[in-house]
Amino acid sequence: MQSVTQLIPDLLCVSDLKKHFGGVKALDGVDLNVRQGEVHALVGENGAGKSTLIKVLTGIHMPTDGQISFAGKPFDAGSPHASKDVGIQVVHQEFNLLEHLSIAENISIEDLPTSRWGLLNRTEMRSRAVVAIAAVGLDGVNVNRPVSSLGIAHRQLIEIARSLQSDSKLLILDEPTATLTEREKVKLFKIIQNVKEQGVSVLFVSHHLDEVFQICDRVTVFRNGKTVITQDIDQTSPSEVVSHMVGRHVDHTDASAAQAVPFGPIALRTKELKTIANRSEQGVSIAVQSGEILGIAGLVGAGRTEFLRAIFAADKSNGGTVYIKEKQVKFRGPRDAIDAGIGFVTEDRKDEGLILQMPISMNISMVNLKKLFRTGLIRHFAEHHQAVKYGDNLQMKYGKTADAAASLSGGNQQKIVLAKWLASKPAVLLLDEPTRGVDVGAKFEIYGILRALAAEGVAMIVVSSELPELMTLSDRIAVMADHKISGVLTRSEYSEERILQLAYGQTVEQRVAQ
Amino acid sequence: MSDTTVTPTKTITVQGLLQSTGIGLALFLLIVFFSLSSEHFLTSGNISNILTQITINLILGVGMTFVILIGGIDLSVGSVLAFSSVVAGKVMTMTGLGDGTVIVFAVMAGLGTGMLCGLMNGAISAWWGLPSFIITLGMLNIARGGALHVAEARTIYSFPYAFEEFGSISFFGIPILFLLALLLVLLAWLILNFTVFGRMVYGIGNNEEAVRLAGHNVFRYKVGAFAICGTCAGLGALAYMARLNIASPIAGIAFELDAIAAVIIGGTSLAGGRGSVIGTLMGAFIIGVLANGLILMGLNDFMRQMITGLVIIVAVIVDYYRAKYANV
Amino acid sequence: MKFMKLAAVAATSLMVLTTSVSADEERPVVGLVMKSLANEFFQNMLVGAQAHAEKRGDYDLIAVGMQNETDFESQINAVNNFITQGVDAIVLAPADSRAMVRPLKRAMEAGITVINFDVALDTEAKEQQGVELAFVGPDNREGAKMAGDALAAALPSGAKVVIIEGNPGADNATQRRLGFEDSIAQAGLTLLDSRTAYWETEEANSVFANMLTANPDIQGVMAANDSMAIGVVQALSSAGRDDILVVGFDNVPAAAQLVKEGKLLATVDQFGTEMAANAIDMAIDVVQGAPELEGWVRTPIELVTQ
Repeated sequence: MQSVTQLIPDLLCVSDLKKHFGGVKALDGVDLNVRQGEVHALVGENGAGKSTLIKVLTGIHMPTDGQISFAGKPFDAGSPHASKDVGIQVVHQEFNLLEHLSIAENISIEDLPTSRWGLLNRTEMRSRAVVAIAAVGLDGVNVNRPVSSLGIAHRQLIEIARSLQSDSKLLILDEPTATLTEREKVKLFKIIQNVKEQGVSVLFVSHHLDEVFQICDRVTVFRNGKTVITQDIDQTSPSEVVSHMVGRHVDHTDASAAQAVPFGPIALRTKELKTIANRSEQGVSIAVQSGEILGIAGLVGAGRTEFLRAIFAADKSNGGTVYIKEKQVKFRGPRDAIDAGIGFVTEDRKDEGLILQMPISMNISMVNLKKLFRTGLIRHFAEHHQAVKYGDNLQMKYGKTADAAASLSGGNQQKIVLAKWLASKPAVLLLDEPTRGVDVGAKFEIYGILRALAAEGVAMIVVSSELPELMTLSDRIAVMADHKISGVLTRSEYSEERILQLAYGQTVEQRVAQ
Repeated sequence: MSDTTVTPTKTITVQGLLQSTGIGLALFLLIVFFSLSSEHFLTSGNISNILTQITINLILGVGMTFVILIGGIDLSVGSVLAFSSVVAGKVMTMTGLGDGTVIVFAVMAGLGTGMLCGLMNGAISAWWGLPSFIITLGMLNIARGGALHVAEARTIYSFPYAFEEFGSISFFGIPILFLLALLLVLLAWLILNFTVFGRMVYGIGNNEEAVRLAGHNVFRYKVGAFAICGTCAGLGALAYMARLNIASPIAGIAFELDAIAAVIIGGTSLAGGRGSVIGTLMGAFIIGVLANGLILMGLNDFMRQMITGLVIIVAVIVDYYRAKYANV
Repeated sequence: MKFMKLAAVAATSLMVLTTSVSADEERPVVGLVMKSLANEFFQNMLVGAQAHAEKRGDYDLIAVGMQNETDFESQINAVNNFITQGVDAIVLAPADSRAMVRPLKRAMEAGITVINFDVALDTEAKEQQGVELAFVGPDNREGAKMAGDALAAALPSGAKVVIIEGNPGADNATQRRLGFEDSIAQAGLTLLDSRTAYWETEEANSVFANMLTANPDIQGVMAANDSMAIGVVQALSSAGRDDILVVGFDNVPAAAQLVKEGKLLATVDQFGTEMAANAIDMAIDVVQGAPELEGWVRTPIELVTQ
């Protein structure tokens, strides 16, 4: 067995690859070898460097340093054409389909067939498409249908069909099952099996370890931009992979002078709150006390953001109840939630949190504007004064309060968002990825601010994809998987390993139990 | 008084200053050019003419500024002007009531008609989240049809003497109608810079979702902006009647385009969120001065039309670069 | 038909107005195609035609108008519809003197009596298509000359005048300008400037005010329609000039009022209300066996003064 594999050279060899963005080392020397005709899993936490590697391989990013060879030849990384030409195909997490064009047109969009007169050869295009989608098990679907008429799972399959039709040697699938139902997953795995039998290598990037263990031959684990290990699947276990992802020694740099003050009464409770994205029977029930920080962990797509938006009534919910101070409330929209004392620091600063072109002072007064100026007339000095006050409180670094919010750094922009919610004096603060795009220094300042708020009795729910952040901040961590709470851990109980196991859902636990 | 950014008075930014002086400079150069090419240009009579001629466009432009600032557009103002004018005209030519009563009712009817059309524009496009472009295009037809129907396609005339006289009053050569329009500009400027409503207009134009999540009723402010625009069309109708002493169902054709041009030349971004009524004032002046000056120069009608079009395009190109370098 | 009427009015794009179309085989059916019903002139014409149909009572009238002056496509559609419906006569005021020749030719080939009124079809286009068709309508050029002559008579020889033209390219606008120019040449007046105000009051008001600034010594103004004449009169009153004489065209009520008040020297009445009715009479005569019309059947025009 061992000797056979060594006869065939590896298809893809990545050695000591580095990619730095400014001071951030997204890839800090990774190694990866993919053999001919194998299904190779690539796993790692958010930010481990998986996406960056894919972007280097597909020519979106130039590597900073390191070597790549493909099919025995040095590989010219950093140009999109080069990777297509040698036979690397990627199915991205975000779809690259043109919604209003037909399936046939999408399948052939990279190389449209033309007739002698330079006109589009539709017959050829259709027959290509029929073959291509049959290969992914979509036979019988009319290729003239616009992509927009398809469900999300079918779109994913179309995307895969598009990648497969050209002569590819390496197919990279980036979270391909995120949108698929169980039935379609089975279909996809069959396709992967077929492709593999034709000698094509597959790099399978996934959060779902059960899938990895179902179809992959080998697995490589990334952590913090480095390769931790590559193992044969049958020589490892899910829990071992998880511990590799997390690393043995988790830093317990608890900035937690936690719980100096005892928690107050329950400030917010949800009972079976179901978001619209949640198609299961179960909703989410949690409670958070005054002065407590409740962290919510979970994978992308677990429904964490949707849950916060449902509490805040930013989106409609699909049943369930919210209680403020144990009194049932019914919010018609954000206004009601704010009036009930809730603040919501959104995930997306640019699109939801700030009005970038407007001055800092106007951003800070955005929520409490009507309370600040009950007559409806704005006094700019009072507004400026408020901005200065919160700017000082949060140690914001800015020029003038009249400067556009866009002129500040990410960390200071985030402080504007915080300031605007603090100005409305919330009793409950919902925070979604509160330190995304914020540099390390500012991160710890923000932790300090949140801790201080907790000490003042503000109840907080923090959603974050960074486990160290959650473990630093939270008094308790609720883990979500598939729109449900899969477990709640108290401070004494949590470890990254435990959280990840819950986040990856029951399957891992079952495997571990086996 | 002259800032064109969202920045309030106390905090005039360098960019804001450059922006407003940019358009002011263009106006100044235009005035210098025409003064040199025609001896009649800088006479008090001609200045009075220009002020008269830009009044309606300025009034419509002020309303349009609100709508464009929230990221919308109102194509119906020309037709709404005609509709409001014939409704007001019908009321004003009613017999059996005193002149004063009739005038008051007519003014209310004119403004009310405009406001109602604006409310409909705003409510429909905001409630269903439909592009205002197409909703107001529909209103353009509804209002025009309404105007023709109410007036039976006829010109309405013979208004009370007091009303006809009012339209021709002027102070030191400055027509009263223009002074009223200027007052409207001032009022709009105050609303946009010193009220919660105005702040929301800018906020929605920049980032509607952020405003919504900050707990504000976006629907109400959007409808408000359209209602202001419609009311301005009603006011424009009254100015039309006072100036020409008729109400016509075919008045105001393509006025919306001039109003939009004034707003855009004035530096307000078609994408919303950035601009000011002071800019619109400048824009209306540029269009008016251009139309007047080119006739005084003796340019023929077709050349005149071409040059006007060219100036609009140049103004928007300049605006493109201004936006590019202002928002770094 | 009733539904069509509702739909059309709702859309305000194409207005189909009908009096009852009965199944009576004997009664001739006349299709009347007019220009914009938003124009007072055609509105009056329609009212006149409808009153006439009611009064005569021996024919059925189907009247069609359009949204704007230049919308000849709707006119073509209307003519085609009439051919399909098999009307006995089509009476049409063309929106475009060239484009309408071909569809009318088709109508004639279908055995429909066609009367062209108000604006004459282009002679050259008619020859090209081999169409012989009479024109029933006023002489716009002659009418304009009557107004121009009235102005000339009130002014000294060599007096300075300007012309406010209608829509560039519109046939009646051109004819009226030519008529004004005829009388200027004949009376020896001086033409200072000639500009279009697109038939529109506000535009005429602005354009003329600017012309007056450029030429303060204007003594007379010839406006190609009354709407524009009203704007001119208003500009004169704002400028405080009562020494300049104005003539218009069309005799709309608002202008008639100004004539009475002495603010407008003269306007021209081309009896629009009766024009369509007269053309319909001629059409029915031909349908009922009278000889075909030939050449230009001039309809009456009259100068209106105080």
